[in-house]
Amino acid sequence: MDEIDKEILWSTQDGIGLEERPFLHAARRLRISEEEVVARLRRLGQNGVVRRFGTRINPRKADLMANAVVVWNVPGTRVAEIGAAMAESPDVTHCYERRTIPGRWEYNLYTVLHCRDKEDALRRVAALSRATGVADYRVLFSTEEFKRRPSGRIEPAKEPGRVQ
Amino acid sequence: MHLDPLDRMLLQRVQDDFPLDPRPYRVLGEALGMPEREVIERLSDLSRRGVIRHIAPILEPGCVGIRSSTLVAMRVPEERMHEVAGIVNEYDGVSHNYRRDDDYNLWFTIAAAGEEELLGILEEIMRRSMIPPGDVLNLPVVRRFKLDVRFRFLTEEDDDGRDR
Repeated sequence: MDEIDKEILWSTQDGIGLEERPFLHAARRLRISEEEVVARLRRLGQNGVVRRFGTRINPRKADLMANAVVVWNVPGTRVAEIGAAMAESPDVTHCYERRTIPGRWEYNLYTVLHCRDKEDALRRVAALSRATGVADYRVLFSTEEFKRRPSGRIEPAKEPGRVQ
Repeated sequence: MHLDPLDRMLLQRVQDDFPLDPRPYRVLGEALGMPEREVIERLSDLSRRGVIRHIAPILEPGCVGIRSSTLVAMRVPEERMHEVAGIVNEYDGVSHNYRRDDDYNLWFTIAAAGEEELLGILEEIMRRSMIPPGDVLNLPVVRRFKLDVRFRFLTEEDDDGRDR
C-alpha cells in the first residue's frame, strides 16, 4: 500500500457519492485518472486490504430487526470443527473463538446473527445447536445501539505536502 | 420499511458485486436493465431512508494497523446505563457498543494497535465508569472463523436462484 492508495482509502472510506462519477473527486484531488482510482481499489481488494467494496447496510432498516450475539460453550477439541461449521451458515455474519474466564465465563465461541425478528433468530439458533450438538449457549439480543461504526479505518496522511 | 423488488435486487447487487468502474451506477443499471439515473435515484432514496449507510471500501482491520481486538461485557446498574455507555463511546477504538438483554447488559468491542494499548483503554473505561472488575468480562479474540456482514434481500419469490 503506497501513499496514493492510502489517500484513496481515506477519501472513500466514509462513502462515495451517489452521482454519475463518484470517483472524480478523489481522482482530481490526487491528480490521477478515475480509471487509476478504481484500478487501485481493485488491487487493494485482490491483496486483501479491502475486504470488499460495497454498501454498509443498516439491518434494522432492511427489516432485519433482531441482532443476536450467541455465545456457545464448545468442547476445546471441537472448536475448529464447530467454528467452521457455524461460519458456513449464511445466517451468521461473525464467528469468533474468544478467550474464556475459567470459573466465571466458559463460553468460547461467538456468533452474530441478523434476523427478521426474535422468533426467527431463536429458530435459526436452535437449528445451529441441533446441527452441531452444542446445547450450552446463550442468546443475547441487542435492545439499544449506542455506537456502530467500521472497525478498520485509515488515518489521513500527516505530511505537509499532501495534495488538497 | 417498504422495499420493492427492484430495491431488493439493487441492494443485493450493490452489496455483493459493486462494479469498480468510473461509472459504477451505469454498469449496475446495465446489469439490472435500469437507466443510470434510476439507479442513482433509488440508491439516494435508500440512503435517505437509512437502509444504506454508505457505499465504501470495507477495510481489513489487520491491514490498517489493528493487531488486537476484544469484546467486553459489563454489568451496569440500569440507572447508570446511558452515562456508562457515553463514556465507552468516547473512545475511537470502540466500534460497536450495544445494550443487550442479559445479566451482562453492556457489550462493546475495542480494537487497538496492540494488546497494551487495548488494555490501557479498557482500564481507563473501568476506572472512569467505576465498574468493578468482578462485573467486567474481557473476551479477546483467539481465532476468527468468519467476518462477512452481508444480507439476503431477495425473498424466495424474487430470488433468481443464485447462491451467495
